[in-house]
Amino acid sequence: MVKVAIYPPNSLVLADLIERKGHTALALQKEMRKKIKDPEIDSPPMNITEEDPIKGLQYAAIEVPSGVRGRMAIIGPLIDEAEAAILVDGAPYGFGCVGCQRTNELSIFCLRKKDIPQLELEYPSSREGAMDMVNQVNEFLDSLDNPEALKEKSKQIESSGNQDISTEDNLEEEPLESSKTQNNNEETPSEEHMKTEEERKVSKDDLVASLKSKGGY
Amino acid sequence: MKEAEAHLTMSPKLDSEDLDPEVVNRMIILGPRANVSESELTSELHLLGLPLTIKETCYGAMVSGKKEDVKKAIIEIRKLDPYNIFTKDRGFAPGDPRRCRGHRLGPREGFHQLEREYELLDYVGEALKNPRPVEIVKPKPIDVDEFKSIVNESIKKEKK
Repeated sequence: MVKVAIYPPNSLVLADLIERKGHTALALQKEMRKKIKDPEIDSPPMNITEEDPIKGLQYAAIEVPSGVRGRMAIIGPLIDEAEAAILVDGAPYGFGCVGCQRTNELSIFCLRKKDIPQLELEYPSSREGAMDMVNQVNEFLDSLDNPEALKEKSKQIESSGNQDISTEDNLEEEPLESSKTQNNNEETPSEEHMKTEEERKVSKDDLVASLKSKGGY
Repeated sequence: MKEAEAHLTMSPKLDSEDLDPEVVNRMIILGPRANVSESELTSELHLLGLPLTIKETCYGAMVSGKKEDVKKAIIEIRKLDPYNIFTKDRGFAPGDPRRCRGHRLGPREGFHQLEREYELLDYVGEALKNPRPVEIVKPKPIDVDEFKSIVNESIKKEKK
């Protein structure tokens, strides 16, 4: 069972499809329910507590309007909890409950930034589009049960974009090769990290020298 | 008018059920092609004999009760028409004066999205009934060289 974040966070279709597949939809209503049960808040979500904009500081800077931070105090924990995400873009006006475009953008950014399986879809405008959307969501949810299969698939798609499709014999050797490439990938950021300020200065000097030689400095 | 305004009060009287952390609310929405009506749905829910608060609504029904009971009820009620009965969580309890349309001067918040999504439910039900194999293709960022060539081409065109 995977916790799937949805956007818009109160979507009926997405929440229903997720629950049909046995996963948990991280719907906003569940967070609101917690607020409603709080006897100190009279009329949520019109009233927020003093703590909410402070909680929102985890997701947005202090100069961001308190409305965004207050909303993020509710949506943010859902994003943190998410193990997968389904985002629907291009929805018509009046779709979605957040009521603030900046919060929408920030939450979608936070979800995209997370290293979790994601599915981005366009809001369907036709019968075919809607049927495609449902099938894609179902396919994505099925793949969440086998995360390794999903990774392999995405690797294959990536490799098919750059190289020829490998044969069965090559597939057996792939894990070793992929582990090597992973190691290389791991090494490269550390090398980058090792660059000191002196090295950067040196490279800057080289650049200036080459520009001077070309007469452009 | 004054009565309606009074119901929009900041401090409504809440039931013990409203404050119970184990209680959940669920909306049951019938798709346009559903084989059951709202009243049939409600009577079926009553016949289950579970300790639930059940409310018949224009889109289907709303149930409120302990999490396990609500889950059982939804599993049973889906059997009536698996492809055309949809469910969704709801934060506020049925008839809560802060959200209930009966006490407000217009549609409640959340109704507009429900209205929009209702337009899709027909196709969603159809897609669930006749699943098709699809391939999810992740959009890839464009190659830098290709992007450069596009930029150069567009600059040339502009100069002409």
